[in-house]
Amino acid sequence: MSDVAHPATEYSIVEGEPPELMGRNLNSAGHLLASATAFFFLAFVFAYFYLRSLNNDHLWRPKHVDPSLTLGTLVMALTVASALLVRLGVLDHRAARRAQWRLKGALALVAGLIAIVLQFVEWVSAGFGPADGGYASVFIGWTAFNVLFVLGTLFWLENLLATAFRYRRIPSGAPAPGEASGDAGRLGHDIADPLSLVRSGLESLSFYWAFLAGLGVLAWIVLYLI
Amino acid sequence: MSAVAVEVRPPLWRRLIGFNALTAVVFGIGGYYLGWFIGHHINGASVAYLGVGGIDQNDLSVFLGYFLGVAGFLIGMGFGVYPWARLRGYPPSLREKEQQGVGRYFGLCTDHKVVGIQYLCGIGLFFFIGGLNAMLIRVELLSPARQVFPAGQYLTLVGMHGTMMMGIMSSAILGPFANYFVPLMIGARRMAFPRIESLTFWLLMAGGAILTTTIFFGGFPTGWTGYQPLNDQANTGMDSYIVFFALVGISMCLLGLNMIATIVTMRAPGLTWSRLPIFCWGVLSTAVLQLLAAPVLIAVLGMAMLDRTAQTTFFIPSGGGSPYLYQNLFWVFGHPEVYILALPGFAIVLELLPVFARKPLWGYRLAVAGMLGVTLLSWLVWQHHLFMSGINSNLRPFYMLSTELISIPTGFTFLCGLMTLWRGQIRFTVPMLFCLAWFFNFLIGGLSGVFLSDVPSDVTTHGSFFSMAHFHYTIMGGLVFTFFAAIYYWIPKMTGFQLNERLGKIHFWVMFIAFNSTFAPLFAAGFLGQARRDVTYPAHLQFINDWVSISAFVLGASMLVFLYNFVHSLLFARIKAPVNPWSSLSIEWQLPSPVPVHNFDQIPVFTSDPYGYGEPSRPSALPAASPAGGSS
Repeated sequence: MSDVAHPATEYSIVEGEPPELMGRNLNSAGHLLASATAFFFLAFVFAYFYLRSLNNDHLWRPKHVDPSLTLGTLVMALTVASALLVRLGVLDHRAARRAQWRLKGALALVAGLIAIVLQFVEWVSAGFGPADGGYASVFIGWTAFNVLFVLGTLFWLENLLATAFRYRRIPSGAPAPGEASGDAGRLGHDIADPLSLVRSGLESLSFYWAFLAGLGVLAWIVLYLI
Repeated sequence: MSAVAVEVRPPLWRRLIGFNALTAVVFGIGGYYLGWFIGHHINGASVAYLGVGGIDQNDLSVFLGYFLGVAGFLIGMGFGVYPWARLRGYPPSLREKEQQGVGRYFGLCTDHKVVGIQYLCGIGLFFFIGGLNAMLIRVELLSPARQVFPAGQYLTLVGMHGTMMMGIMSSAILGPFANYFVPLMIGARRMAFPRIESLTFWLLMAGGAILTTTIFFGGFPTGWTGYQPLNDQANTGMDSYIVFFALVGISMCLLGLNMIATIVTMRAPGLTWSRLPIFCWGVLSTAVLQLLAAPVLIAVLGMAMLDRTAQTTFFIPSGGGSPYLYQNLFWVFGHPEVYILALPGFAIVLELLPVFARKPLWGYRLAVAGMLGVTLLSWLVWQHHLFMSGINSNLRPFYMLSTELISIPTGFTFLCGLMTLWRGQIRFTVPMLFCLAWFFNFLIGGLSGVFLSDVPSDVTTHGSFFSMAHFHYTIMGGLVFTFFAAIYYWIPKMTGFQLNERLGKIHFWVMFIAFNSTFAPLFAAGFLGQARRDVTYPAHLQFINDWVSISAFVLGASMLVFLYNFVHSLLFARIKAPVNPWSSLSIEWQLPSPVPVHNFDQIPVFTSDPYGYGEPSRPSALPAASPAGGSS
């Protein structure tokens, strides 16, 4: 029989995981997700330069294919502003200024949502369609998938904000072992300090959102300025 | 866990719905028809259920049907509960870690061992379907002229076989065995993200089901690569291919992310990088490739989907696009994909050889360097698939050399394996036989690959049965043989029961001989001019093809021997396996069989690597003196 495990030991009485484990996991996941996202959009960067260099049938970018620089800049600026607000929110959270973090987080969410609305406005008012050449295809494809990634990240932000608002009146202390470890065996009512979930998620979100905003700036340079 | 969990009775609606495979299927079908309806409402195109009354040419409705079908399937499985709770600011509230009962295998379960067994059965099912397609292909090729299937159906068979095998089998080792054993090997109680772990499995199953529905939509003519412009021109059966591979890509990406996060952050105290089991190194290398290559696949399939629905022109030259864009992006994923399939095989062989040679692993660091080298170089070779597609001829030498260069790190692992065998006390058990076969098969696969990496010889062999034989030696000889090695090796730990040794040896010898008898003659067929994916071939090649077909049927029969052994041993004979039947020093074999839900009473402390065979007896891990967690 083993020295390290026994079948009869109940799961509920084995030791708790260290509280910082979820933070570590989310931190590595945020970086890995950013790498995967980079490779995803690399395909669109490749498509842009490849089709531009081929210019098949001189249809890379017909004259009427000219998206609004104003709207594109606004979308990019709002995304960057949203990421910046989340970053400032992290600093507030670290300094135990929870009300300020919630305010900045909410503003970041609103900024991100406005960016998405403006992106829709741009598609509708662009004056060209997806079939209008290589550039139009890359433009529509890149921005459409970017919106999906932004939506996913805003969903993550909303999760953290919703928890922060729901438990805004409970004091936040040092989490107990197992408390914020992300242990899937724990049920909702086991978790005495749900704010620990926010604590571990916010740093990772901030990194990923800043990375995605950076990709937004890259998209803006490639699609509007070059 | 510090607090004792209090059982809370779930609300009535949740008890009624249940969240299991049955509700998932019901929600999935409902979701499909909802999406299909919305798609038709948007496009206002013709209506056809499952092809009745004509092929449904409304790609938008098919895509929306699949997307909402998958969403419904996952919600029915219970994956909506966690995000819904978090959306409202609550912690998770669903009990997802059932400890007993068969029901845990048919739903969302966050126990990595359950997910491992789910993967083993799920992958086995689709491997069987893919294999059945192969048998039908060989039936057709018994005669040089068309006899059983029309050309279009034959192409669909070839495409389904290739796509199923390349897609589903990408997770053949990481799905069942890495999910099950990596947390044990690193001294953890779980994966870093258990819900994502379960999600990767169910996404794969949804994808497999979707691919099989392609026959209702007329199939697809492109083979597993989905090349343009056929892809854009094909009927809606192509949509199944796109959604299937996109789901596989998402599953692979998340699986890779989870594996890397787990190995990096959850290793037990004392488990330094130089003590990490070689299997975990192989998993890590594969996971890196999965994480980074799969997004490129998803992106290119997204472009194909937009071409087919939103009328973009990514791949249409008359609209400013280019089919070569697809070829380039597909192979940026596609060649790392080959190593996603091959690297886990290396890892299994290197993990098992010391156990059965009773010697420490020779050149541990060299083996690690070899696997990491393959991981790196696999990004620099993709254009060798385009030698015959009209790429700039100045680029050919670079890609020829980079492709040949990859044989050096591959050789490292080969060398380490052979040197581990040298003067070992080899035990010819069933898992060891499969590992030894890997040396033979992969050597032939590797050597024939040199012909395809050289531009002059590739010109004559590209698109022929030669390349088909090459990659079957590499993938089936390299992956499937090690897949069976892993099954025979680890099933006693996973189930607590042992497989029949005699039947295992019969399975091995029949499979090994039939495999070589099937694929070796195909090199000759390729040299003699038989083209891939052609339903007809020159009459003088009939003898070779008949030989190959009969060998393939024997190969298929060998799988039935395995299936009988598996089912009979585990369900009927049920002979208890010893706790450590192979006298392995690896930590998973120091645990009870089957492993308890919590894996370890206390997180162990590692004191050495697990390959100290032939040295004075020493444990590689000890119980912790005090409660401890993961190490950073």
